[in-house]
Amino acid sequence: MIRQVSIFLENHQGRLNNMLKILADHQINIRSLNIAETMDYGVVRLILQDTDKGIEVLKKNNIICKTTPVLAVEVSDDPGGLSHLVDTLTKEDINIVYAYSFLPKKTENAIIIIRIDDEVREKAIAVLEAVSDIHLLDRDTLLVK
Amino acid sequence: MYWNKSCETMPRERLKEVQLERLQVMVNRIYHEVPFYRDRFQEMGILPTDIKSLEDLQKLPFTTKVDLRDNYPYGLFAAPLEKIVRIHASSGTTGKPTVVGYTRKDIANWADMMARCLVATGGNEHSVIQNAYGYGLFTGGLGVHYGAECLGASIIPISGGNTQKQMMLMKDFGSTILTCTPSYAIYLAESLKENGIDPESLNLQAGIFGAEPWSENIRKEIEKKLKIKAYDIYGLSEIMGPGVAIECEAQSGLHVWEDHFIPEIIDPNTLEVLPYGEQGELVITTITKEGIPILRYRTRDITKIIAEPCECGRTHLRISRLQGRTDDMLIIRGVNVFPTQIESVLLEIGEVEPHYQLVVRRDGSLDTLEIKVELSEELFSDRISGLEELERRIRDRIGSIIGISSKITLVEPKTLPRSEGKSQRVVDLRNI
Repeated sequence: MIRQVSIFLENHQGRLNNMLKILADHQINIRSLNIAETMDYGVVRLILQDTDKGIEVLKKNNIICKTTPVLAVEVSDDPGGLSHLVDTLTKEDINIVYAYSFLPKKTENAIIIIRIDDEVREKAIAVLEAVSDIHLLDRDTLLVK
Repeated sequence: MYWNKSCETMPRERLKEVQLERLQVMVNRIYHEVPFYRDRFQEMGILPTDIKSLEDLQKLPFTTKVDLRDNYPYGLFAAPLEKIVRIHASSGTTGKPTVVGYTRKDIANWADMMARCLVATGGNEHSVIQNAYGYGLFTGGLGVHYGAECLGASIIPISGGNTQKQMMLMKDFGSTILTCTPSYAIYLAESLKENGIDPESLNLQAGIFGAEPWSENIRKEIEKKLKIKAYDIYGLSEIMGPGVAIECEAQSGLHVWEDHFIPEIIDPNTLEVLPYGEQGELVITTITKEGIPILRYRTRDITKIIAEPCECGRTHLRISRLQGRTDDMLIIRGVNVFPTQIESVLLEIGEVEPHYQLVVRRDGSLDTLEIKVELSEELFSDRISGLEELERRIRDRIGSIIGISSKITLVEPKTLPRSEGKSQRVVDLRNI
């Protein structure tokens, strides 16, 4: 299981930059980023190289954040790779709440971060582990990719 | 024209004698019938017989909205329930409403005073009164209604909202007087224009507007757009309801019906009574109420007393147009809103003391309420749908408590001003 850092930011000029600077100032590398926005605010979702330190410095700066358990899945970087993953989950009636790409440096494969409802997360893990060409990554494996 | 000429034009010396007599009777009654007041009198070492002149009123204790709340629901009633024929309520500071009861006599007096108000603004038995004040627990609708029936005018009890129907009846029924909040009057005027109805083609002559603060500029705007005379009316349920004071045709201050009420202006900080002409908090004592007589009620409304004789011939003192309030109560679309009500909803949902700010705007002619809420970690969700659900829960809960819709804006922690004074909780951008 991977811990994503979820952050609440108002949708104003400079808010994202302010948050990114805090992480940069503390030498915390961002491995992946996703933003969902509304008129008034946005939720920024990050995979950090150092999650605990990231949470600590953000909280110190009065930024609302928390960790959210997500899954990191390695699939082949070919047409149909992602479709195969989603298809596997759909067949088991497991919904994806949201998903985004992770940027690997050391593999030819694609890595997808998926957020699954808490109640069916264990089931999703079991389902994905049973498929040979889909690989669930743990934290240590993900962060060296 | 007067409705009750002998009362409305009573020489001031005689009026003062009537006031003193009635005050003495009332003080004696509440001392014996209302334990709350008896305890206060005893704490202060006062007896009803100490009231020998009108100046002695200043010896008596004040009553506040909190006192009404603490004695919820019937604690301040001076008449048994079998004598009470109607109960009204207005929103309180913490969710519990402020409850008032009327005897048959109270309702008759109220109708008489409201009839005086209608006549002072040009009404008579030929008038067709379109009453767009809300009917219900709020005193506005029924207050005007009984006054109109007492006068013998034709009342249309349409209540608030439903603008299409308001316009249709205004046209088809030939309404001559409109009663509603000033903001609704402007909204109605704009709707008429959009629907191609020329106000000149209507029979409308006057409007009696109240239940929320408005300015001289808004009066001009309403008069121009609806081609009518617009009059200010004052009232509050704790004292009676609409009709405590009314503007006459001179449109220069509102006459307070002094044969039923004694107005005072105090300095809200020192509680000292201020001389006529000085601005301060309006305090009202009821001297004829049977159901719930109130001593020196602190209205929190800021105004001044105009003692100079009025050209209309009425001898009763006038108060000037309200200048604001001494507390942080907001009046939005005629509804009393207290920041503490919002606070209790947020506490219910978030379990920790929330930081919030109310922003009131006038969007065109309608007041809008935005509630900024600092998001806490426990309420934060990584899913947008989760945050939208949170906004919806707050909005629905607030709507069910204060009865008006609002926009909820979630903001980052520590971004709202920390309140040193309560005023920080409220930003009123209406320019009234």
